[in-house]
Parts: sequence; C-alpha cells; structure tokens
Amino acid sequence: MTQKSMKNLAWVVIIAIMAVSIFFVFEMVKNASMETDLDEYMPKEHPAFVYSDQAEKWFNIKDGILIAIENVDGIYNQATLQKIKDITEGLQDMPEFEAADIVSLYTADNIIGNEEGLDVKSFYKNVPQTAEKLKELQLNVASNEMVQGRLVSDNNQVALVVAALNDSVFSMEFYDKILAFADSFNGPEEIYVAGVPIVEGTMAYLGPKDMKTMVPIVILVIVIILYAVLRSVRNTLATLFVVLFSTIWAFGLMSLTGIPIYAVTIMIPVMLIAIGVADGIHLYNHLDLFMQENEGVNKIEAIKDMLKNMWKPVVMTSVTTAVGFISLLTSEVLPIKYFGLFTAFGVMAAMVFSLVFIPAAIMVFGIKKKKIIHKDDNNHASFAYSFAEKTLKHKVLVISVTAVLIFVSIFGIGKVWINSSFLENFERNSDIVRTDAFVNKHFGGTSMINVILESENDGVMLQHDVQKMMVQMQTSVENVETVGSSFSIADYIKRMNKVMNADEEAFNVIPDENDLIAQYLLLYEMSGDPENLWKVIDYDYKKANITFQLKSDNSKELNKAIEAIEVFRKPFEEKGISINYAGSGYKALVFTGLILTGQIKSLILSIIIIILLLSLMFKKLSIGLIGSIPVVLTAIISFGLMGLLNIPLSTTTALISSIAIGIGIDYAVHFIDRYRINALETGDKLATIRETMHHSGRAIAFNAVVVIVGFLVLLFSVFPPNRSLGALVSMNMFISFLATVTIMYLVLYKSNVFFNKKNKRTDI
Amino acid sequence: MKTIQMLFAAIIFFSLAGFTTVNAQMDGQKIMEAVYNNPSGDDVQGELKMILRNKQGDERVRQLKQFIKVDAQTEKKIMFFLSPADVKGTSFMSWSYVDGRDDDQWIYLPALKRTKRISSDSKADYFMGSDFTYDDLGDRHPSEDHHLLLREETVDKHACYVVESKPKEADYMYSKTITWVMKDNFLGLKRDFYDEKGNLLKTLTITKFEKINGFWTILETEMHNVQKSHTTKMIFSDVKINQGVPESKFTERSMTLGQ
Repeated sequence: MTQKSMKNLAWVVIIAIMAVSIFFVFEMVKNASMETDLDEYMPKEHPAFVYSDQAEKWFNIKDGILIAIENVDGIYNQATLQKIKDITEGLQDMPEFEAADIVSLYTADNIIGNEEGLDVKSFYKNVPQTAEKLKELQLNVASNEMVQGRLVSDNNQVALVVAALNDSVFSMEFYDKILAFADSFNGPEEIYVAGVPIVEGTMAYLGPKDMKTMVPIVILVIVIILYAVLRSVRNTLATLFVVLFSTIWAFGLMSLTGIPIYAVTIMIPVMLIAIGVADGIHLYNHLDLFMQENEGVNKIEAIKDMLKNMWKPVVMTSVTTAVGFISLLTSEVLPIKYFGLFTAFGVMAAMVFSLVFIPAAIMVFGIKKKKIIHKDDNNHASFAYSFAEKTLKHKVLVISVTAVLIFVSIFGIGKVWINSSFLENFERNSDIVRTDAFVNKHFGGTSMINVILESENDGVMLQHDVQKMMVQMQTSVENVETVGSSFSIADYIKRMNKVMNADEEAFNVIPDENDLIAQYLLLYEMSGDPENLWKVIDYDYKKANITFQLKSDNSKELNKAIEAIEVFRKPFEEKGISINYAGSGYKALVFTGLILTGQIKSLILSIIIIILLLSLMFKKLSIGLIGSIPVVLTAIISFGLMGLLNIPLSTTTALISSIAIGIGIDYAVHFIDRYRINALETGDKLATIRETMHHSGRAIAFNAVVVIVGFLVLLFSVFPPNRSLGALVSMNMFISFLATVTIMYLVLYKSNVFFNKKNKRTDI
Repeated sequence: MKTIQMLFAAIIFFSLAGFTTVNAQMDGQKIMEAVYNNPSGDDVQGELKMILRNKQGDERVRQLKQFIKVDAQTEKKIMFFLSPADVKGTSFMSWSYVDGRDDDQWIYLPALKRTKRISSDSKADYFMGSDFTYDDLGDRHPSEDHHLLLREETVDKHACYVVESKPKEADYMYSKTITWVMKDNFLGLKRDFYDEKGNLLKTLTITKFEKINGFWTILETEMHNVQKSHTTKMIFSDVKINQGVPESKFTERSMTLGQ
C-alpha cells in the first residue's frame, strides 16, 4: 500500500468515526431522558421492595413535602392562620396532589370530648376574628396531642403543612414550582420547605448540575497535564478524542436502546476519562521512545512498530477492564447493571479508537518532530533505572510497609459502613440541611420508618392486648434518641377513650375490652374522616401501620430504631402477628445494603475472572496472581481507609471499587507485558526491570499523574458526593500506580517468570 | 299526494305542539318538585345491609335494623347494629329538622354502656364510612338549587328526564348534580355528583325499587366514588311502611335496648 492510499484510508477511518459520533450525539439530544423516580432504581422483584410497595398501597404511605410556617410571635394570629389556610388550599388545588393528602391545622380533625359527648370538627374553617376565638383555637390545639407537636410546634411558633406525594409525580419542574409556591408566602413569616421528595429533588438537581460545571474543568486540567506529559498538541487532542468518542458512543447507544439516564450514569464519563487516556498515553509513550531510539524512521514504520508492540497490552488491558465492569451484571440493581454494561462498551470502544483512530491521526497529521534532548531523556531513563534498583534494594522495607498497610486496612474494612442518608450528601450549612434541622427541632422528624403488623385473621388489630403491645413498642422505640414520634391506630383509640371519658388523662390508655375498641372505631368512622383511619389500619383489621418519625436519615440511626423495633418481633409472633417494614427510608436502607453486597460480590467475581484471564493471556497462573496484586491492594486499602476515616460508602462511592479494578489491572498488564518482552529480548533480569521501568513505568506514571490531577479538581466541587468521588478516584489511581511499580514489580522480579528456560517459548 | 303531505304536516305539527306542552309543563324545577313530593309514608322500618368496598377490593359488611318516622317538623331515625359481632347493639339516632337547625345525633356504645351526643361539622361528612354524605341520604329541598331540564332519554328501559341542578349557595360541596328521573313514577334512577372543581365525583344508581304498601320504595342502591374507587351498596329488606312505629322508639332509652 502506498503512503498516499494509507493516508486516504486514515482519512476514511477518522471521518467514519466522526460521522458515527455525530449520529450518536443527535440520538442523545433526541432521546436522552433522565430518570428521577428513585423507585425505578430499586429491584422490583426483591421481597423487601415487593412488600413495601404493597404496604404503601394498603396504607397510602407516601413521602411528604413539609412546608413549615414560622412566626416568632406565635402562629395564633389572623395573618398566619390565613397563610396556613392559603397554603393548604393552594396545594390542594395543584393537580399533582390529591386533596385528601394535604394535612395541616386547617384540615385536621379535632376530636374533643365534653360533658355530653363527642365532637369532631375542624379547628377552623374561617380564620377566627376575635382574640377570644383565637385563644379558644389555641386551647383546642394544646389539648389535642394528635395535633400539638405534630402540626403545630410545642412553642406555638411553627405550623406544618404536610403534602404527601406520589413518587412518580415528581419532576424538576414540579420541584421548582413547589419552591416558588412556598416562597410566595414568605414574609413576615419564614417559610421552610423540607421532606424526602425535596431532598431527593435537590440531589437529583445539584449532582448533575455540579457535574456539568466540574466535568469541563476536569477535562481542561487533564488536557493541560496530558500536554505536559505528551508534549504535543495533536497527541493530546487525539487522546482526548478517544475518551470523548468512547463516552459519546456509550451514551449514544444508551439513548438508542431507550435506556434512561440514571444518577449513577454520570459515573460513566468519569470512568471512561480515567481509563480511556491510558491507551493513548501508552501508545504515544512507545512511539516517542521508538522515535528517540531510531532517528529518521518514517511514520509508517513508527506506526507499524507501535501497533506491533502495543496492540497486545492495549487489547489485554481493555478486555480485562471491560470484564471487570461486566461483572457488575451480577448486581440486583438495574442502573448498576446498565452502568457496568455501557462502561464496558465504552472501554471496548476506547480500545478500538486507540488502535484505529490514533494511528490514523498520526498518519494524517504526522508526528511532531521533537527536539531530542538527550540529557533530559537520560535523566528520565536514569531516574527509572535508579527507581527500579532502589526499590529492589529496599525490598524489605517495601514488603513490610505493604504488609502493615494490608493489616491496618483489613482492620479498617471491618468498620466500613454504608450510609443511605440523602441529607448527609449536603453541606452542613446548606439551606436544605438547615431547613431539615429546623423542622426536626420543632416536630417529630423528617424521616420515616413504617412498621407493618400483619395477622392471618380478621379483627386481630383491634384486640386490646395487641394494641397495648403497639403502645409498648411505640414508647420503647421513642426512647431511641433520634426517634421523635410515632403514630398508630392505638393513638386513635387512646384519644377516643379519653374523650369519651370526660377528657380525663387517666383514660388516655387502651381500654381492656375488645368490643369497646371496635365500637370506638365505628364511632370515629361515623363522626370523623374515615380516610385517616386507613392510613393506620386496614379494612379487615388484619393489618396495622405504625409510623415512626426520625430526626435523621442516617443509616446508623435507622438501624438503631429497627433494632429497638425488632425486640418486639418475638412477642408479636407469639400472637401470630408478623412484623415487616415499608416506606422510602427503609427501602433506601435495603437498597444501599444491596449495592454494597452487590459490589463486594462483583468485586470478588471480577478479581477471579481477571486472574483467570491474565493466566490465560500469559499462559501462566502465577502471572494471573501477580497481575492481580495492584487490584487487590487498591481495593483493600481504599475500603480500609474509608473504614478508618469513618467515611461511609454511598451509592456512588461504592462503585469506585470498579475503577480500582479497571485501572489497577491496566497498570499491571502494561508493566508485565513490557517485562515479558524485555525479558525475552535481553534475558537479563536487571536490564529487563530497568527497561520496563523506563518504558511502562514511565507511561504508568504519566497516566497516573494525568488522572490524579484531573480528579483532584473535583475536590473544589460544591457537592460533597462529587468531592469524595474525586478524592477516592485519585487515591485509587495512586495506590494502583504505587503498587504496580513497587510490590508487584518485586514479586514479578522474584518469581523469575519469563526467565525460566521452559518458558522461552512463551510467545503469545 | 297533497292529502298525504297535509297529513304529515299535521302529524309533525301536533307532535311538536304536544312535546312543547309537555316541556312547558315539566321544566326542571317541576320535575324535582315532583320527585321531592313523591309520597314516602310516615314511617318506615326494615333491615339495611351496607356493603363497603375499597380500592383493593376488600369488603366490609354491616347489618342494621332501622326505623324512620317523619312528621311536618322532624325526621327521626334510629339504627341498631346487628353485625359485625363486636359492634352488635351499638345504636345511632338522629333527629333532623325541617327549619334548618343542626341535626341532633346520639350514639350508644354497649361496651361503654353510655349514650353520647355526637355532633358533626357539616352535612358534607360521610355517613358511617360510606360514600353517602348525610346530605345525600336526606332530601334536599328543590328550592335550594337551580334546575334545568337537559334532555330526555331512556336508561335501562326506563324513560327518564335528565335534570341538572346547580346549588344557589356559594360553597356547597357539589358544583352540580345531574339526575335521571323516571317519567312514570318520579323516582330518581341515577345521579351524578360533581365536585367543587367540576369533576365527576360520585355516581348513585338505584338498582332495585318496588311499590310497597302503595309507596314507591328504593330497595337497592349503590354509590360509587369514582375518584377514590370506593363503593357503598345499600340493600334494604323486610321493609314495612306505615306500620305505626311508636314515638318511644326514638328515645335515648330505646337506644340502650339494642333494637
């Protein structure tokens, strides 16, 4: 083939890749959709979710948006009461809400007792006009513990409007609408908006928004560092295009197949940036060294040599990395499956582009004639040589430091915990955290756990001994520090019993007769709004829903409450009643647990697969084991550090272990393959490690520097999860790099592989 | 030819004239008055079975014995629960007054052995967890609404007037109701209730009616709340009219006796 026809072919390759990429960009613009409903992330068939979804339907359990109205002079004045009414009615009129799902002082039923009997009425319909009437309203609220402390704070300065919402209704537009609506009531009263949908919404909004501003900066920094390393604009651009195209193809394929963008999806470009630059760096590194050693060769020869020497490690690293991500298919969480699949696709795409696009670019745009500064290169080489020698000399130190790190990390791993908290993703002084703290200070709590009691037989939940046990459980669980309040059918019965007995506090208990409980319920149905009852008990009185409100959504706190609840599992079981959990807080807890176990499963699986693959590629089991050293070390140390520093795993940070595999294995493969080639060429151990360190070690260092510096930029993010992402990726890269060029190299050196005569034939 | 044309013209003319006279006679207002004035007897007694069905299809059945007595000023009603067992003997009494005073209501809980007065805010409250409000169960006076005869149509083989009624008062719980009134007996056959926002809220259908002791009596009726997917079926049986229910039936003492 002539140089001209090769150049034409290169153009065809470049244009074809560009054209497909542009097509994918259009696909993305046309079809991309963001998934904001967190329920869509959860495995529908998992028993805990199946049960919770069912229970949510039985008892109309929904997450609530909480609008708090604060008046430091007290809420019992005409203007504030009018505001409570206006906000309530305004929400009721919104098509996203069902009118019955809005609860406030304005809608609440006041069950009051008097000499003659029972009265169920609203607290107010029209705002009271006189001082006496306002005082009367205040007294009515104060004597009703189903309202005081729940809808009106105990200091009478804050009123709460709770608007329960179907998850599926939530959208960014709706989020903006609610915030604007609440804001329109601001002044002189302070208006606060809190609740799970708002926290989730803010997160869904802030995460991607922050990424949008941070990713260009990350790319810019990577470009600068890449340029510093590659010392060539065209090489930098070509490497960057490989990353860019692979990301576009992965996203394009996603939108083409109609898969929505999930929150974890934003990790795909993160992974591809970290992994994709490696191939380019190694290819250009080889090319540079080749050009230095063979002055005056033409570019076709250079390209040929580059591909001949480098296609194997590039393919091997890409395949092992892709397999690592494919192992995420074992996860029970759908978005993580997709994440694994499409990242793997992106990695393979990056491989193809590296092997096709980069040579084509070199063909078309040529190789930059670098001034060959021998002195400088000798410095490089001598540094690499001396690093290799010194590491060898201090092997005892390297091995013992590694051993200590492993030991300490294993200790730390025992402390790793996963936090399903959404709130702790935000800055302590952010609006959302302060609002949440404000509502928690004045009311029961912004997080909920629903305990579902279920029996085989009709009417069981009305039995007095069952109800007394509910009260016992509620009292006992409320002793847990973060549990603010609880609510169940027993609270209705206690209130009715009190009211029917001249409002005497002594009767604020569950009565001893089953029939009386049934009759109270009937009475309530006749005089109140029975809709409210179906939130705590079912039609056949077989099932009951006890709601616990917590002042924190931290997993540790949720687990403490669950622990206190579990004490009652046995006593209830003895009565033939089962305990189950429901609600978004519990689902988030289970969900994060699933992610963690899923991650650990796929981590172990991918390490096994990688060992097998490496063993197969190098036709030696020992190489498989040696090659897995950086991966295993990175995983152990990064989990260990998180445990030691008390950094909880979250849904995004848990995925970072995948990057440990993806990158750790790249370093190892490049290093081992170069070592193998050098070993076969020189047959001399010292020369082999010197050359390997000079060639692969240098490229690995370049690669590590580019990605580490790039991701350290994320430390300046305003969104804490993105900050920990940056820190963890950088840390993982650094550990992988260090482990490859120190401990793995020592083990490789000591193992004598590739120097055994029997292995002379090892030419894969 | 001419005679035939004349004949046709005459037929058309007379039939049109006939219809206009009927329409002139029976405008919406008159129809609803006829419904209101449909004789219903001075007292009624019988058993009532209430079947409540929720969205999930769960059913609850309550059986009651009820007595009603009406005079010029008052409608008195007393109900005794027969089942379910744990509420058996519970009784509920209400006196409502023509002059528009609030209803008086009492409940007797046998487990508490005490009669209590209950008062409820409004007639918009639902009766015993059913889909009927107190107002749906009572007779609303035709003068409280503007009525408009929309059309005439046949429903389930019954020729009906279709009347739209819009409340005169500002915040009534329904923005309008549409009633299908049977032409032959001036009983309502079906009624659609529209909520304050003008959306269909509930549909009431009469599935069984009979003439008992000379009075047209509804025996089976169903209220379906389409917004909540909740249904209440009421089945009346053993209905006796004008058998002379004594005034003493409607006392607090009577409530404690269980029937």
